[in-house]
Amino acid sequence: MDNKLLGLFVVFAPLSLLSFGGGQAIVADIQYQTVSVHGYLTNAQFADLFAVSRAAPGPSTLIAALIGYQVAGFWGAIVACLGIYVPSSLLVYGIASWWQKHKTSPIKIAVERGLAPVAVGLIFAGALAVVRAALANEPNNIIVALELVTLAICCSIFYFSKIGSYTVVFATGGIFFLMHLLAF
Amino acid sequence: MAEDNEQKPADRPDGARGSAFDVLMSFLKVGGSAFGGSTQAMVFREVVDRRQWMNEEQFIIGQAIAQVLPGANPVNLALYMGLKVAGGLGAAAAVFGMVIPAFCIIMAMGFAYQEFSSLPVTSFVLHGVAAAGVGATVSQGLKTTRKLPKSASTFIVGAAVFITIGLLRWPMIPVVLVAVPVSIAWAYVEARRAA
Repeated sequence: MDNKLLGLFVVFAPLSLLSFGGGQAIVADIQYQTVSVHGYLTNAQFADLFAVSRAAPGPSTLIAALIGYQVAGFWGAIVACLGIYVPSSLLVYGIASWWQKHKTSPIKIAVERGLAPVAVGLIFAGALAVVRAALANEPNNIIVALELVTLAICCSIFYFSKIGSYTVVFATGGIFFLMHLLAF
Repeated sequence: MAEDNEQKPADRPDGARGSAFDVLMSFLKVGGSAFGGSTQAMVFREVVDRRQWMNEEQFIIGQAIAQVLPGANPVNLALYMGLKVAGGLGAAAAVFGMVIPAFCIIMAMGFAYQEFSSLPVTSFVLHGVAAAGVGATVSQGLKTTRKLPKSASTFIVGAAVFITIGLLRWPMIPVVLVAVPVSIAWAYVEARRAA
């Protein structure tokens, strides 16, 4: 049991520092390490856990928690989470505190001004990716239209009002639930 | 929660200050509602639109740093924002708040998956929730774009990143590895010309 906990930490901690862009970058290696190298999971189990992690809210790296749970129960989930989050968080903490403490220099201004448009491009690319994934296998045009209208309404609410995201997300979920009961 | 009666100036030079407890409450809420790949927009909603702990320009720098460094973007973003608002304790509170609700939900989903994944109502509701999430993301993109400096480099880099990754679906990491240094060098040259 203890060996498995240690093994989980050893699998996830190095991947933490390689997870550029989040979980997508390291999914292939998580699969290789947990299935082929350590034999913690079968390929089918890995595929199921991956599907669950994609459907859940929160960072996609939480697949580590599912794998940890599968391998060594509750403490496995905790250890896998610590492994995947602590190393990268320490790095970000160090760089972010340095960045926030040191005041403006021409180089720093250039870095900030240069990073901003890349981040904005990624925001819109991300929105498009989610829309594409959500509508990819949707044969029903009414549902497609319904989603696009929902997107536009929610975007306007977020743009023009101060209503919290929690309220909007759960109200939308509730309305879709009612619509499903009544109409589909 | 007395969120709306704390009016703080959004353009304070050193970033607005809040308590680690406020940070924890905010990020617990975001962590529990950030479905559909919209986490960053939800954080923006809470930190910029509602709490007014910082303005759009300050936020986008944190978001860019969170994206460029390794680690889960939502966790990095929470850490950066918590650190800026309430120091080291704030950073820990933000990460905890971001991870715990999602951790609990994903564990519950691990159990429930077999039962409910086949029900049509599940995917229907998730569709709606995802649409709301994208709405938040587009709104954040629009608000941030409005605040960017109106320069050629800003427009061309932003458009190039969106087109290559969003429309052409090139892999993100190589695009970002090229776009970031080019964009920084370009911004540096523009600033020197202007000076």
